[in-house]
Amino acid sequence: MRDVIVFIEHHAGKPRRVSLELASKARDTADALGGKAHAVIVGGAAPAVAQIVKNYPLDRIHIADDADADRYLVEPQVAYMEAVARAVGPALILVPNTMIGRDVGSRVAARLNAGITADATDIVVEGASVRAISPKLGGLTIVACAFTRQDGYGVISVRPNVFEPRESSSAVEIVTLAKPVSPAFRMTIEEEVVEAAAELGVEEASIVVSGGRGLGGPEPFAGTLKDLADALGGAVGASRAAVDAGWISHSRQVGQTGKTISPKLYIAVGISGAIQHKVGMRTAGTIVAINKDASVPIGEFADLLVVGDLFGIVPLLTKKVREARAVLA
Amino acid sequence: MPKAAAWILGRNVLNIVVAVKLVPDTNADKRIDPTTKRLVRAGIETVLNPFDEFAIEAALQLKEKLGGNAVVSICTTAPESGKEVVRKALAMGADDAVMVSDPALEGSDVAGTARATAAAIKKIGFDLVLCGTQSTDAGTGELPGMLGEYLGVAALTYARKLDLDGTILRAERETETGYQRVSVQLPALASVTKSIAQPRYASLKGIMSAKKKAIKTFVLADLALDRPAGQEGALTEVVALAAPPAREKGRVVPVADDDEGARVILEFLQEKKLL
Repeated sequence: MRDVIVFIEHHAGKPRRVSLELASKARDTADALGGKAHAVIVGGAAPAVAQIVKNYPLDRIHIADDADADRYLVEPQVAYMEAVARAVGPALILVPNTMIGRDVGSRVAARLNAGITADATDIVVEGASVRAISPKLGGLTIVACAFTRQDGYGVISVRPNVFEPRESSSAVEIVTLAKPVSPAFRMTIEEEVVEAAAELGVEEASIVVSGGRGLGGPEPFAGTLKDLADALGGAVGASRAAVDAGWISHSRQVGQTGKTISPKLYIAVGISGAIQHKVGMRTAGTIVAINKDASVPIGEFADLLVVGDLFGIVPLLTKKVREARAVLA
Repeated sequence: MPKAAAWILGRNVLNIVVAVKLVPDTNADKRIDPTTKRLVRAGIETVLNPFDEFAIEAALQLKEKLGGNAVVSICTTAPESGKEVVRKALAMGADDAVMVSDPALEGSDVAGTARATAAAIKKIGFDLVLCGTQSTDAGTGELPGMLGEYLGVAALTYARKLDLDGTILRAERETETGYQRVSVQLPALASVTKSIAQPRYASLKGIMSAKKKAIKTFVLADLALDRPAGQEGALTEVVALAAPPAREKGRVVPVADDDEGARVILEFLQEKKLL
């Protein structure tokens, strides 16, 4: 495998930040392997998205301006990814480790008989061999995984926020894909319902403000906590206790039965930090906790635990963050 | 197309197969032996992957909605020692189970496990396959999509609500910002999230009757896989293991009032250049 192919996940006409992170890492990986860096963009918004993605260090962008991708679930994306991969030949395929990315990566791997390794936080090239580095067992151990067949395809799902997106002024070729000959698409999207207008999911956000049992009800998630997340440009997350109580959607849950994330900053509000939560966030860059109890487990691994009243502290912190950012701007 | 099961043939009995995984107990604080670099399994119980319990519950509720006109089968690829764990799924109310147990499967990667499981499910026949979204041990979240491909059916992932409308499965699929209504013609696979339903506890009656329920075992020779299984067929291999950098205990700051609390955090974020 020499060439690298990146699946570009996009939303509302823009590439997800993680897609740009992957495009940049694809460049370095392709250079180390002596191949080219490709990106694949599928959907009615593909041409618009390509205009943004072409500012990143790729060799070729394959666009599929196909409205089917907006009407059918995931299978169109898989069909185009498979078609590009077959045309390019044995390659390394990078997908974001997000809900859509995992869906695309797992199916493409099955179709191409590719090895697949998940949730990488680094990609290392040694000679002609690619290794994916992933924390496993909730960050208990760091595993380096290699593909057993150098003449085959490999798929790596990459955790968001681990690589820096890097713009480039070099020329990128944009090609349009023909509709692949593949089985009919089977899963029809009847309706798209937006419940939380949040742009960012917890997996992708570089700053996550999470709430737990200490919040006492659903209101602070939509109010106090959301305000702080907005002020910081981050997303709202939650502990299992808060999700099980029905205060916030499961898609926001961080931890063993939720999502495992590595944001630059994680703020845990009213969360004790039991093992099942810890495994979902212990690889965050910086962890700040606010809790009324000084003896909570999160105090053992947070960079800062402020012991006090979250309902008083969080709104004041939001105000101070806004003021500080206004000065910076 | 896969072998059509009863429901699709109009026989009014829906064949639901729940694909489950057996994992080390999720609540145990697992550790890695620094010498062998393997998970210390001593004292850690094997349990049903908690995500799969939601799938079992979803299957049982679907059966109830159909007035009992369904058969719920459990399918897992696991060593025979996992039989008692499979019996717990039967105690919840599943009708029967099939295990793929073969020492030659040891060292399989996710693709190998998915292939063996798919072969077993095809052999017993299905209208609908349900599974959890991920496992608590590897947690890759890749099995549902792969299993769908190997079964030759669509895989509808992250369903938080499932309904059957004749031979059409209708689902609410979780997204980052809400949900999508998605429909698919059976036969199909769906992975369900914890929002679908709280798994029931096994009743005493359920536990007693589970002892009499059939657990069929397949070995690889029964399945005629088109590729070698186990380590030999694995497309990925672990080449190194390392301990993660330790996370030090940080500062614990009791504050006199809310303003001090907010100020301590703001100064910390500024010091770390996180604003």
